[in-house]
Amino acid sequence: MIQQVGRFLIAPAARPFTIMAGAVVVLGLIDRGNGYFFSLGTLFSVMQLFASLGLVALGLGLSMMVREFDLSVAGMFSLAGCIAVITGGTNPWLGALLGVAAGVVSGLIQGLIMTRLKLSSVGVTLGGLLTLQGLAYVLSGNQTVSYPNMSVALGLNAPFAQLFSVRSAVALAVFLLAALLMRYTYVGRDVIATGSDRRASRVAGLNTDRILIGVFAASGASSALAGVLLSYSLGAASPVGLSDVLAPAAAAAIVGGVSVVGGRGSPAGIAAGVLTLCILRSGLSAIGVPPYVHDLVTGGILLFIAVLDAPELARHITAWRLDRAERRAQTFTAKLS
Amino acid sequence: MTEIALNNRLRGSGLRARHLVLGIRIVAAATIAGFALTTQGFLSTLSINALLTAISFVGCVAVGMTFITLTGNIMSLALGATVSATALTFLATLSFGIVPALLVALLFGVVITGLQGFLVGYFQANPILVSIAALSLLLGAAAFATGGHRIYPAGEGLAIFKGRIAGIPVQALCFFATVIAAQFILSWTRIGRQMAMVGSNSRAATAAGIETTWTITIAYMAAGACAAISGVLLAARYGSGDMELGAGYDYTAIAAVLVGGTAIAGGSGSAVRTLVGVTVIAIIEVVLLLRGFSEQLQYLITGIIVLAVIMLHVVGERR
Repeated sequence: MIQQVGRFLIAPAARPFTIMAGAVVVLGLIDRGNGYFFSLGTLFSVMQLFASLGLVALGLGLSMMVREFDLSVAGMFSLAGCIAVITGGTNPWLGALLGVAAGVVSGLIQGLIMTRLKLSSVGVTLGGLLTLQGLAYVLSGNQTVSYPNMSVALGLNAPFAQLFSVRSAVALAVFLLAALLMRYTYVGRDVIATGSDRRASRVAGLNTDRILIGVFAASGASSALAGVLLSYSLGAASPVGLSDVLAPAAAAAIVGGVSVVGGRGSPAGIAAGVLTLCILRSGLSAIGVPPYVHDLVTGGILLFIAVLDAPELARHITAWRLDRAERRAQTFTAKLS
Repeated sequence: MTEIALNNRLRGSGLRARHLVLGIRIVAAATIAGFALTTQGFLSTLSINALLTAISFVGCVAVGMTFITLTGNIMSLALGATVSATALTFLATLSFGIVPALLVALLFGVVITGLQGFLVGYFQANPILVSIAALSLLLGAAAFATGGHRIYPAGEGLAIFKGRIAGIPVQALCFFATVIAAQFILSWTRIGRQMAMVGSNSRAATAAGIETTWTITIAYMAAGACAAISGVLLAARYGSGDMELGAGYDYTAIAAVLVGGTAIAGGSGSAVRTLVGVTVIAIIEVVLLLRGFSEQLQYLITGIIVLAVIMLHVVGERR
């Protein structure tokens, strides 16, 4: 019975939620009923962090599901923010639309380059990252651009139902949409199939190129939306400073059960992964732990799961076990004789 | 029979593509040279010296990155943080004298990066994830150790790195020595040849009896050593340091590696090519600067060049 529960908890589909629950329990224990961690304020700040990081992690995670790696999410994040702030002065919808459209276009272009020239995503999106970052620098004139429409910032961050803001609600809605699409339409099945075995999917009649381009367009749009929301709510956009989003986004996707070898992961899992990181970050600071602990914890988790997911790990563990068994057998026979 | 004809035709098209790439390279080189030479003030000693120092810092990191790319592990996002961290280590240990500080800094870079290489080589862990994890850990550890303050040199001796020998800045000499050493390892030692083999086909290399784990670990250790040299040079140059010192160097370095013509999939590349890549990017930046273009345009143009080079490379590789 206990074993069964244990096996269910560490099964790939449930693992992200187990880790999240673990983080909550550990932080709660450290807090020891002082009420700093289990407070509405902390939960609200968790959701605010979720809104900033979540959509970037979703984009990156989607690309990892098809066994690619979209480095350009970090560049798109800052570029879309600059576009929105510059063009959305009078009409915030227009700015948001242009920002997200830029994300879609950049994803489409990179996807086309990859599929037509049969290039690896890391190379192309690395070029994409540098180009998008450069565009952000040019658009913003290499300085922080402030957004005159402060009512938008206040509106986006105004709390409702004590937990959410418009910003985090939008992020949650996008996650819900992605989860529904992946769960109840052919898209989800095709994405997982493409990530599991691209050649087999192609033989089975799947247009994997189209899936790939679609995934990169979605990834671009998602990270662009994240950039737009954050820049609006900060009332400013800057080409620098936003670029350190890549490490937490990758960590969130990995904690959320997305595998770098492709074919595994779900939007719900990614959401749990992002929440875990956000709970750790605001939970740790609520308890009064210095901020560097968060970096160390993120890095540690990422390293642990990177090794856990590594293809050679199982083989080495078997080899170690065999070695030990053999040595034990040898000492046993030595004792006998 | 048809197979042979087909093969010949394919080979022919490959040859043509390679000529095309060579042609584009020559044209690009000629254009850059033309622009540079017609730019006023480019050939002055001041601008040449600025160019030499500028390429030294990021150049060392790029040479280090070449080892990682060559072994098929694409890039490390942690090398920039490694540069900063070794600079801090160097500055903090200067009180023991310059030679011990140098050794400690080198050892630090080699061990930190070598550990990542071991994880990548032994478990075949995803190199980009491992490097992102290392980046987080380095940032956290540095914030813990320094308390977020700038680090100032704990001793004397930094002046050695600021001088000139025969009119050439010592920093540039260190960089050229790094390039020569790296190229020597890659071309004339067994481990260097093994790195290229592991990068071009890791399974075949294993079958041929090469210790892939060891080879990849050594490649990462070499990368760490190069990053450490860059960290020491930067620390000497600025006289103090924080974690921002080498931030972003990873991206510039991989850009230089790819522009130089090292294959992103691994298996082919050299330190001299990376030297060319670094120099080309630096020349473009200096020319843009001298012609009055803004700094932000330099970023954009570097990005576009990297994208173009990656696409061009495939055209040349296609068989």
